[in-house]
Amino acid sequence: MSDTFGPKHSNGSRPCGCSRRDLLRSFVGGSLLMPGLLHELLAEDATRSTPADPLAPRPSHFPAKAKHVIFLFMTGGVSHIDTFDPKPRLHADVGHEVKLDHPEIENRPGYEHIFLKRPQWDFQPHGQSGTEVSTLFPHIAECVDDIALVRSMHTDHSNHYNATLGMHTGSFAFARPSIGSWVSYGLGTENRNLPSFVVIAPAQTYAGSQVYASDFLPGAHQGTLVVPGDEPVANVAPRVPLGQQEQELSALARMNRRHRQARGEDAALAARIKSFETAFGMQAAVPDAFDLSQETADTHALYGLEPGSTKGYAWQCLVARRLIERGVRFVELIDTGSSGNWDSHGDMMDHARLALNVDRPIAGLLKDLKARGLLEETLVVWTTEFGRTPFNNSADAKGREHHNWAFSSWLAGAGVKPGIVHGATDEYGVRVAENPVHVHDFHATILHLMGLDHERLTYRHSGRDYRLTDVHGRVVRELLA
Amino acid sequence: VFSRPRFLAFVAALLLVGDIARAHADDAANTVGLRLFEEKIHPILAGTCFRCHGDQKTAGGLRVNSRAALMAGGDSGAAIVPGRPDESLLLQAIRRADDVSAMPPDKELRADQVADMAAWIAAGAPWPEQPVHFESSKHWAFEPVREPAVPAVRNSAWPRNEIDRFLLAKIEANGRAPLPQADRRTLIRRLAYDLTGLPPTPAEVQAFELDNRPDAYERLVDRLLASQAHGEKWGRHWLDVVRYADTAGENSDHPLPHAWRYRNWVINAFTRDLPYDRFIREQLAGDVLALEGDDADYADRVIATGYLAIARRFGHDIEKDVHLTLEDTLDTLGKSVLGLSIGCCRCHDHKYDPLTTRDYYGLYGIFASTKFAYPGCEPKQLPRDLVPLVSPREYERLVQATAEKIPEARAEVNRLTELHNAQSMRIKASQAASARTLSTQEIDDGQSADVAQGAQTPLENVAVRRGEVIQLSITPRGNHGADSTRIEFEITELAGEKRRWNVSDLLDDLPAANPHRGPAGDGATWCFLDAHDAPLLLSESLTAIDGHSELRGWRRGDTPSVFVNTSHEPVKVWTTLPPRQFFMHPGPQGAVALAWLSPVDGEIAIRGRVADAHQGGDGVGWQITHFADAGLAEAFIEFGATSRQLSAAQQRRDALVERDRQVPRAYAVCEGEPQNAHIQKRGEPKDLGDEVPRKFPDFLGGQQVTQGSGRRELAGWLTDPANPLTARVMVNRLWQWHFGRGLVKTANDFGTRGAPPSDPALLDYLASHFVKSGWSVRAIDRLIVTSAAYQQASVGAADDFNVGFARRRLTAEELRDTLLTATTELDRTPGEAHPFPPESSWSFTQHGPFAAEYDTVKRSVYMMQKRNRRARFFALFDGADPNASTPLRDVTTVPTQALFFLNDPFVHERAAKFSARVIAAADTDAARVDFAYRELFGRSPQGDERDDALAFLRSYAPSATDNAAPVSEGAAAGGAAWTALSRVLFSSNELLYVD
Repeated sequence: MSDTFGPKHSNGSRPCGCSRRDLLRSFVGGSLLMPGLLHELLAEDATRSTPADPLAPRPSHFPAKAKHVIFLFMTGGVSHIDTFDPKPRLHADVGHEVKLDHPEIENRPGYEHIFLKRPQWDFQPHGQSGTEVSTLFPHIAECVDDIALVRSMHTDHSNHYNATLGMHTGSFAFARPSIGSWVSYGLGTENRNLPSFVVIAPAQTYAGSQVYASDFLPGAHQGTLVVPGDEPVANVAPRVPLGQQEQELSALARMNRRHRQARGEDAALAARIKSFETAFGMQAAVPDAFDLSQETADTHALYGLEPGSTKGYAWQCLVARRLIERGVRFVELIDTGSSGNWDSHGDMMDHARLALNVDRPIAGLLKDLKARGLLEETLVVWTTEFGRTPFNNSADAKGREHHNWAFSSWLAGAGVKPGIVHGATDEYGVRVAENPVHVHDFHATILHLMGLDHERLTYRHSGRDYRLTDVHGRVVRELLA
Repeated sequence: VFSRPRFLAFVAALLLVGDIARAHADDAANTVGLRLFEEKIHPILAGTCFRCHGDQKTAGGLRVNSRAALMAGGDSGAAIVPGRPDESLLLQAIRRADDVSAMPPDKELRADQVADMAAWIAAGAPWPEQPVHFESSKHWAFEPVREPAVPAVRNSAWPRNEIDRFLLAKIEANGRAPLPQADRRTLIRRLAYDLTGLPPTPAEVQAFELDNRPDAYERLVDRLLASQAHGEKWGRHWLDVVRYADTAGENSDHPLPHAWRYRNWVINAFTRDLPYDRFIREQLAGDVLALEGDDADYADRVIATGYLAIARRFGHDIEKDVHLTLEDTLDTLGKSVLGLSIGCCRCHDHKYDPLTTRDYYGLYGIFASTKFAYPGCEPKQLPRDLVPLVSPREYERLVQATAEKIPEARAEVNRLTELHNAQSMRIKASQAASARTLSTQEIDDGQSADVAQGAQTPLENVAVRRGEVIQLSITPRGNHGADSTRIEFEITELAGEKRRWNVSDLLDDLPAANPHRGPAGDGATWCFLDAHDAPLLLSESLTAIDGHSELRGWRRGDTPSVFVNTSHEPVKVWTTLPPRQFFMHPGPQGAVALAWLSPVDGEIAIRGRVADAHQGGDGVGWQITHFADAGLAEAFIEFGATSRQLSAAQQRRDALVERDRQVPRAYAVCEGEPQNAHIQKRGEPKDLGDEVPRKFPDFLGGQQVTQGSGRRELAGWLTDPANPLTARVMVNRLWQWHFGRGLVKTANDFGTRGAPPSDPALLDYLASHFVKSGWSVRAIDRLIVTSAAYQQASVGAADDFNVGFARRRLTAEELRDTLLTATTELDRTPGEAHPFPPESSWSFTQHGPFAAEYDTVKRSVYMMQKRNRRARFFALFDGADPNASTPLRDVTTVPTQALFFLNDPFVHERAAKFSARVIAAADTDAARVDFAYRELFGRSPQGDERDDALAFLRSYAPSATDNAAPVSEGAAAGGAAWTALSRVLFSSNELLYVD
């Protein structure tokens, strides 16, 4: 277990050469705070947790390589047949009428007849594995040998709201804990100066805060929302000079110590006293994690990030690497909000704009993690809520509709079998033809890669043991290294 | 209704999970069959079938754990037909017959086992009273409540009431002793937060500390229990349980503008100690009960059913996912009133509790027969089916028509509109076929001209026939709406009586009619028309224009219009209108016209002048047209009659709609079409199974609905004193709301998976006392807080043998209300509606859902709570879940909460305001420290606390923004230092925790 607070490097050295102990001393040095609480804080380093601490690191169910998850979520429904699932027959049979009992055309005026529509981007094989990826993702295509691509995803609902909720919580209607909350609950977290579960999103996706809520799990496991900009995490920037804040904290510590001494042992009172010390540290640790000025020009270029910019997926991806380096358990990067996203009903060419925002940053993240050895302990997940229809009500319709019968997602990194393609859709990409992977199976596999048995990761609520995968889910062994 | 013996019989039936009626001991065949069951059949069922068809799993919808279950069968039908082995599916399955799924699927039963099964079914398939492996043991919560004897205790000095005797008996049995009583200051702070959610004022603390009367504590309790603030605190507890929110929760999270009435109803119910049985009955069936009660209670009872209406809505088009909303309704009903998870039974019989899918759909039918207010959703934005807050009789009086008459009024408007339009089109066609232009010209801004200047044929002798029309149209010229135009216009009969018609004749009674017959007896009729297309009569008569009663006329919309100045003086309005003149004003779309319906057969002379009477526009044009169709006058007269009827019908409709609109409404429910539900197999609404009568769950009596939706009867069954759950569940909540944890720790789950009560006798004592007191919540509250147990010194973590007040953190609401109290900002008047945007502007979508936030200084219980985007503050401090029943708030301690105290603008602003109060309150820093401590903690600083604070103030580095100069030697510290100290005091554990 790490006692560092700075980035972990593959060779074990710390770039700033100082320990948490040194940092703490430097933060609180010379203040009235020192005598009582620093002692307790340093003692905390020794034991690392209190029994009542919901975020204390917990052992996994079985050994696993992955220690962190970076969950890349593309809002709006990415077309599988234009990105990761080549369908040459769609070129050959374009304009053929098909008869389907599809949720998006049922009772929909103007959709009495539907016709196959050709993909708008070409595919080419890449890497040693020869996995075909479209020209929408030229940079991710360079990383296919590190990716396990699933072309047989399917989900329960063709509404954004329900499918997005399902992809995040395993529940397609009712609010339930997010997958990030489940992982935080299952494994706790190592760096108490940062939240265990961080969600970076420029805007809220469908279903709002429910996609990263802890729901009935303890509130400590809820996702902390980071909005790119000047103050990405609320209330982290001190509003008075640090020296004065130290004076305030010292006075508070004296008051609280006196209050506690008059009352005897009470873990809750002690925990709250500690929470102020942690918060004080977070004021430095959080901005440090988000301070990209420490990154080289080459690194910026790798992600396609303009130095000084906080815009776009590139910033999100680079920050994600810095967060997992610092021990954050689960980082989700949502690319767009509930409007202006991949929901290209009107014109599929809009996919190009959205792909441009994520392609180089995601490839940069994979390459950077690999170069630093972090890919060996980090699971990278790429997904969306559903795919898009290989048909429309005319063959030359510009857009595509929602398609929950089949879509593509991928995994990369710790414990994942690299350079493979799992599952397949039929000749037109309409239905899954081989090795279907339901959202529940996908979740079970992610938990498995984290060393968690999805059937044993339960929480008693309302007289029932709840799971991320409800009563479903099968670990997709073929995806495991 | 609900008799105790009947209830007990059902409980007994449940507990045996068998079919008592079949167990006829005197039946010989039965005895043989029973032995067969014990020796052969039960081992097969338990060892082979139970794995997939037992308590936990119900493959194919089939269970084999009771005779009834076998007879009811699964998806394929009854598994056994007693006495008829060959017709029994189970036997066909184990014989592996064609067309039947072979069972067990993996290995065949032995031939002798199949033969035994056949013999058992042939013997009538008898089932013993207590099959060993299938028995669900008696569960305490489903047993009737019996008032237990109050135990004897050795220490007779300590107990203050029966609660203490129950607790002390256990404490003594474990060789322990109660904790000492807390001090007065601790008690008043504990009571104030517990009962009202607000801190006591310094004056209240002092008064209580000095109150030497023996009943000082009880007086304090009674005062707090009677306060509005108590209703707000207890109301918030109940709102947690019923997952109250101000939005619907569907994909676009529509706001619920009327939900606040239910929120306030809950608060008021606790403020006035509404008996709990009525509290439940009105929430379930207030709309039905309202019809039987006083009109004065009508609105309140309807509002109470907001309990049901606030059910979550799901999906894009919420009517497609009604089954989920009803599940949410049943789930909340089960948890809030019965302490049971009913929701599980949507898809399968409850795995642990005696609730079946039939029970679920029996209740489901009751709510499917109920019409819920409709909040709007993405494809249908507007709310509807809101429930009027007046009785049908009163509604009739107020609206003077039933709602059914509004459609009739609308239909009449539609009929007359069609007639009116048809007549207009006919006139237009006639005019087009018969038009002859006599004169036309345009004039510039401010100019005037004689109509003869534009004559295309001599105007001095125009031949007309009776019934034809001469029309003067004034047309706009370029600018929008054109100008007020002064008109002189006269028609003279050349032969015969030489009658003369002049628009000046109309000056004194222009608004009287349109068509207008002019001065009596002159024979002609004038019409004032909107002539931009097919003619329309100007429909609105004006007896004053812009507040000038001397200006009168006709208009349609703002313009076109025809009007007169009746005064002998000029009138200054948008321009100065000369005295005793006739004006016409075109509309933005086109001409205004004056039609003269001819009574003359012969020649006439037309004279006139058109003058632009409003300088600053583009001028106007005129056109005099002769329509040589003798039927036109009649058509205009008929058209006039229709126009008048249409106007009247529109006014009648508008008045009805407006009166209806003014009737206050609630987001509530009313009776719908009574209908039984069908079982939805595996919870799939399209895969329907048997119809189930609307009924109460079997294990609670199984009574069937006899009238309406059944909500009224359901409300009665739930609050029947013989119901073992309702009273127990509520007194346990009350215990938990005072002590921080319930006697049953799973307040929403009294089922077999829930926690057993730490003191069953005490729970039953409270439950029976509750019912005996007339279901008075306040009676139980008072009993609890006046107990010696409650008044003990607090403990960090209580256990079953150390029952007392557990130190607790303030809730999110209490924290916010406390900080606003410290600054005196808190507005204690009840909150009402939220400032939602007007419904007509709603266009919420899943891409752009409702996401507003509204600031307020009212108590936190009145803040708007969204379902899909929770307010950050409430998420941070463990607020209630607006999507599911919250029986007990979590208490998490995380550094992001500390960051809130360190850096959140809310805290910084409150600290600045509080420090200003402190500085103004006294002249010396020492006195100010005392003031601050009394305000926040209800006590003076002790020991070196004052010196510590003064040292802090002295040493706190003055910041650049600190401009407050020291006012005296004793008050050296500036505003920044005081603001900093205020933050420290706000952040202290003493403020955040209640002892």
